[in-house]
Amino acid sequence: MAQTAGEAVVRKSVRVGVPVDRAFSVFVEQMETWWPAEHHIGAQPFQAIFVEPRAGGRWYERDAQGNECNWGHVLAWGPPHRVTFSWHLGPDWKFNPDLAKASEVEIRFTAEGPSATLVELTHSRLERHGEGYEQLRSMLDGPNAWANTLAAFAKAAGAL
Amino acid sequence: MAIFQKLAKGPMAVHELAGTLPVSRPAVSQHLKVLKDAGLVTDTKDGTRRVYGLNPEGIALLRAHFDRVWEKAMSAFQASAEQQPKTGGKHGTDRRRSRRS
Repeated sequence: MAQTAGEAVVRKSVRVGVPVDRAFSVFVEQMETWWPAEHHIGAQPFQAIFVEPRAGGRWYERDAQGNECNWGHVLAWGPPHRVTFSWHLGPDWKFNPDLAKASEVEIRFTAEGPSATLVELTHSRLERHGEGYEQLRSMLDGPNAWANTLAAFAKAAGAL
Repeated sequence: MAIFQKLAKGPMAVHELAGTLPVSRPAVSQHLKVLKDAGLVTDTKDGTRRVYGLNPEGIALLRAHFDRVWEKAMSAFQASAEQQPKTGGKHGTDRRRSRRS
């Protein structure tokens, strides 16, 4: 579906050279191996990220001291093809428990071969984070915002 | 948010929005205020009525933020998924090891 200029949706897809069940399991069971480490919600960096494997389950991080911080909830659980989360983190990376202010992240896993999986991510209803927009604007205006992003990109690109 | 969806199709006045939604006009006004304060909608005066529309800059900033987050996360996910399975998971056991394909 074409994306219109005003639509508050982000879509990403990636092909991974692994079976669909491994792609699903790395996504939900080993999230700490790939989630960008600087995007932690708690005061300390996370050591592990957990997804409780059921609709209504918690999605949270835990630091080395055992402190837990909620990220969101599992809205739909359909291993190994689909999982949907509520996303309670505005651009300020603060957790807002209000479901009406949460956006939604849906990830679909489609087998394209024995070791080929298409992973499609749709992050929708972003307008619900409207109240975080002011922080976002000041972040983007800050001296380090773009410099940090570009540095992280260069590092990731160099590692591929 | 239904108001946001309606405005995505084109600018509307408050009473027009309220007429198409199962909520009261004051509720529509309140939602519009939140969206306006957030910079996501703008209003312009058209004669005696006020017309609300999406602020393309506000939406674009929100999208750009999440686009960058997921671009980085999905690249890292791809790299992690294609690595050899590690021994020992975060729960002290490797749940994948017990299964052979």
